[in-house]
Amino acid sequence: MPAGLARHRGALVVFGAAALVPLVVRDAYFLDSLVLILLWGALSAAWNVAGGYAGQVSIGHAAFFGIGAYSAALLSARFQQSPWLGMLVGVALSLAAGAAIGYLSNRLKGPYFALSTIAFSQVLLIVASRWRGFTSGSEGIPVPFRPGFSTLGLGHVAWVYLALVVAVLYWGIEVWLERSRFGYRLAGVREDEDAAQALGIPSRRLKVIAVTASAALTSVCGTLWAQYVGFVDPFYVFSVDLSVRFALNTIIGGMGTALGPFLGSILITSLETYLRASLSGVKSGFTGIYLIVYGTVLILVVRFVPDGLAGLAARLRAWRARAVA
Amino acid sequence: MDPARRLGRAQIDVFAQLGVSTVLLGGIYALIAVGLTLIFGIMRVVNFAHGEFLMLGMYLAFWAYTLLALDPYFVLFVSIPVFYGVGLVTYVLVMRGVIHASHNVQIFTTVGLSTALQNLALVLWSGDFHTVRPWHASTPIRLGGTAFNLSQVVAFVIAIALTVLLFAFMRWTHTGRVMRATAQDREAAVLMGIDTDRVYRLTFAIGIAAVGAAGVLVSPLYAVYPTAGLQFVLLSYVVVVLGGLGDMVGALIGSLIVAAVEVAGSYFFGTAWKEILYFVLFIGVLVFRPAGLFGQRGAENLGV
Repeated sequence: MPAGLARHRGALVVFGAAALVPLVVRDAYFLDSLVLILLWGALSAAWNVAGGYAGQVSIGHAAFFGIGAYSAALLSARFQQSPWLGMLVGVALSLAAGAAIGYLSNRLKGPYFALSTIAFSQVLLIVASRWRGFTSGSEGIPVPFRPGFSTLGLGHVAWVYLALVVAVLYWGIEVWLERSRFGYRLAGVREDEDAAQALGIPSRRLKVIAVTASAALTSVCGTLWAQYVGFVDPFYVFSVDLSVRFALNTIIGGMGTALGPFLGSILITSLETYLRASLSGVKSGFTGIYLIVYGTVLILVVRFVPDGLAGLAARLRAWRARAVA
Repeated sequence: MDPARRLGRAQIDVFAQLGVSTVLLGGIYALIAVGLTLIFGIMRVVNFAHGEFLMLGMYLAFWAYTLLALDPYFVLFVSIPVFYGVGLVTYVLVMRGVIHASHNVQIFTTVGLSTALQNLALVLWSGDFHTVRPWHASTPIRLGGTAFNLSQVVAFVIAIALTVLLFAFMRWTHTGRVMRATAQDREAAVLMGIDTDRVYRLTFAIGIAAVGAAGVLVSPLYAVYPTAGLQFVLLSYVVVVLGGLGDMVGALIGSLIVAAVEVAGSYFFGTAWKEILYFVLFIGVLVFRPAGLFGQRGAENLGV
């Protein structure tokens, strides 16, 4: 195997499997999980650009997800426009919002940055849930289903491949981040901002760019998710829980690694699907159970495996290499 | 009487009402925020799960009221030791291991705790809104041209009493002095023989006891549901950042400012939009005065 491919063995296995599965499996439930795994993975990868690579840990990324979801849903429900146009509008709005929040909270680090992003997503939640005339307020908006690629009314198999394309694209962006000049400079800023600045790296500009790009990438997936699920509820798309979910997948998989967000998504989304299936009918409040598990997993992972599955794998490899030598 | 003077009188009444509302609300916010700022000031941890302990306090009052017909003010005396204990357990199980960890680890530990507690409440008690309606929640008190219900006034008085008690404890007791010393300089505190683990344990327990008590106090005034803590905690972040994270007097002033914004906002823009005002205020403060309105020593190494 050539060295380049060998380095990305993990990604090859993950994405290869996702590409092959729909050829064999036709079970709608299984394919549905696969679409969600890929979408949540891509979303977490988008979060990773700001949180993992730039060290700007946001707990308000649901804001950009919601912008993407609402842009497309409103344009197609109110103005009969294609969701692809909605996606573009969402990206434009998220670029503006991401640049604004990235620029404004540029000086902030750690808990302060996290707080400012929460506040931002809450402002959007209030607007979306209270502006009845335009957004239908807290009732949310159903997204009309019109079959065809231009309206994103697709079957399960087509959705798997669409989500896969997005996932691979996002993964590719992060691989690029790991070996480009831009990515190295960003890592420098993340690890030691003062030192990076002393070396002449424009740290503030880099952080704004990272947050803005991350916002736009999140928005694209927000649009796709809204079209896939078919309903936009302001209390879901702008929720803190959703923002935490992006972070959770990435932390479990490994922050600042290209494949980490996808590994985290595989684990967490499967767990959720499994718990939903096995606990449904037990009690009406069962939906909370997997979130209790989430919260607990999050506490345990940051405490005991702070570099996530990817870090764990790297440590294992290093340990094996030492054992061989 | 000429209409202009009547208008003047009515306006004075309105402003008196708004002013008293601000003070009453500010007192309750202060009790919520003071625990948050205490924990931050001494442990250097932003407790993202703070609101969930408030929510648990509200549920405690709700269950005591519904099952045992106990008045929330009676429950208050039980809630303080109970939440002190909850704080101790949480510290030992969750917080102790991350006290020296990075910002990210601390953020996600408390965020994880928040998610877990919120959904624990959802599973145990469903997402329904519950209300506690003791007799004093519908007993009006009139003062000049203003009117309030008794619960509001009592909640304010108790909240202020507890806050003052906490101030006095921090200011004049030996333990309080030890806690402040730890806040000022962790390393020096250790060198002086201070058991910092004990200080952190105590701090977290006191902070949780304060917010649990606040939960019980607000239970006659607001509906109880699993995410009830969120609205209060976001607001107490605003309070605490305004006053300077870790600054107890600042938290008191911040509470009044936030209460004033909320009261004036709901009067001029309606209750639906008032929250926008304090989030915008919050973002403004974070952007322009991240160390708080009055500045804060050592803010630069706290991530500002």
